Amino acid sequence: MSNSAERDTEMANGEAEEDSADEQELLLGGLEKLVILPGQTSHAASFQIEQEDHTLGNSLRYFINKNPDVEFCGYTIPHPSETKMHIRIQTWEDTPTTAFDALRKGLEDMIEACDVVTEKFTDARDGFEASKQ
Amino acid sequence: MAYYGTNGYGDDAMDTESSGPKVTVREVESGRCDFVLQNCPLALANSLRRVMLAEIPTIAIDLVEVESNSSVLPDEFLAHRLGLIPLNSMNVASGLQYTRECGNCDDHCEQCSVTLRLHVKCSSPENLLVFAKDLIMVDGRTDDIGKPVIRDSAGNGPLLAKLRNGQELKLSCIAKKGIAKEHAKWAPSAAIGFEYDPNNKLRHVDYWYEVDAKDEWPVNQKNAEWESEETAADFTFNPDAQPSAFFFDLEATGVLEPDEIVHQGVDVLQKKLAEIINGLTRSDEGMNGGMSPDGYEPAPAEDDYAYGRGGTTPYGATAYGQNGYGGY
Ligand SMILES: [Zn+2]
Repeated sequence: MSNSAERDTEMANGEAEEDSADEQELLLGGLEKLVILPGQTSHAASFQIEQEDHTLGNSLRYFINKNPDVEFCGYTIPHPSETKMHIRIQTWEDTPTTAFDALRKGLEDMIEACDVVTEKFTDARDGFEASKQ
Repeated sequence: MAYYGTNGYGDDAMDTESSGPKVTVREVESGRCDFVLQNCPLALANSLRRVMLAEIPTIAIDLVEVESNSSVLPDEFLAHRLGLIPLNSMNVASGLQYTRECGNCDDHCEQCSVTLRLHVKCSSPENLLVFAKDLIMVDGRTDDIGKPVIRDSAGNGPLLAKLRNGQELKLSCIAKKGIAKEHAKWAPSAAIGFEYDPNNKLRHVDYWYEVDAKDEWPVNQKNAEWESEETAADFTFNPDAQPSAFFFDLEATGVLEPDEIVHQGVDVLQKKLAEIINGLTRSDEGMNGGMSPDGYEPAPAEDDYAYGRGGTTPYGATAYGQNGYGGY
């Protein structure tokens, strides 16, 4: 499958990467965190994310859907006893945004939103402490 | 940091989200924090709630070696009670390894575990009470990770067992890092109150009632008053309205401070996202190598959508067919 072929090219890319790949494998018991499911095109792809559930799935779906270049984004957990989450992304064909770009953008936007939440919480918590004195 | 809305596109000025999230802390007491998160998507607020409940790493007793147990409680019973004893988990996320990932040892070591010993014997006609304070940390670490959390005025901690004259308990416990998704003993939060739209203005809830829903479902007054007039119960229904304020009431178990739970919750979420970005970068590189047979498959001309071709996925037509998506 695509999985093993990708791994082969990776190994050819050099030592440093091989190390990080090994580390990942150890954490996930030999499974890839992200697998691109067969049948992808540039503007439509399904991704399989290992060891994630609704905690990430629903938010990520939301952030990807925020992108005006995205035509469709949905997630599913195909089987309750497998720790896999699938996320399907389709972008409009007349935009340069590929499904991969849309996923990356969604992930980055959510990281940024998280940054703001901690920042605002810290401010509010410090403010509360100050108001008590 | 410049923040241009949770979507990063800045084009929907009508969207309340473009003003960015806002947090108000309403109440703080030992082990509890009540705060309101505003201008934040429901999805993100719920992710934060879920992650604070189940995915923040803490430390708890995981293995118990019983040398002697002449108490009335069976070994398993004791082991279960020991697992539930709150142990100080400050800095566990960065300062302690998961035993399964530890590169320093084959079984466990001071970098991935904390050992606590218990040795008590009752030698008086009166019953002896065994408390969490009787757990003694063995050598090893210089920080307080794994120390039993004791918050009662007597300084005892939770009661573990009672011994009669002549009964003895001698055991050693290995505490390990873990998350509540694996076992609830690793939970940093006892409960998280989570509510939005207390007046049910959005009609997300259809209340069951005997006679009158208003009488039978009392609203949280504190939260209801927080909301603006447009969200009052008798205001007209707007089907496009989005929830705007999320009321969190975070109750900690004592292993972490409530503030720390919020910060680490966000940290855990961001780590998950970063890990996927990593995976995406790695698979991108794999594709650019051009070696992957399945790597890039152009769509058939007559069909724009790959999912329409049913049989091309390993899950057959149902995976992406008309009724496949239950998730959203
Ligand atoms: Zn170790």
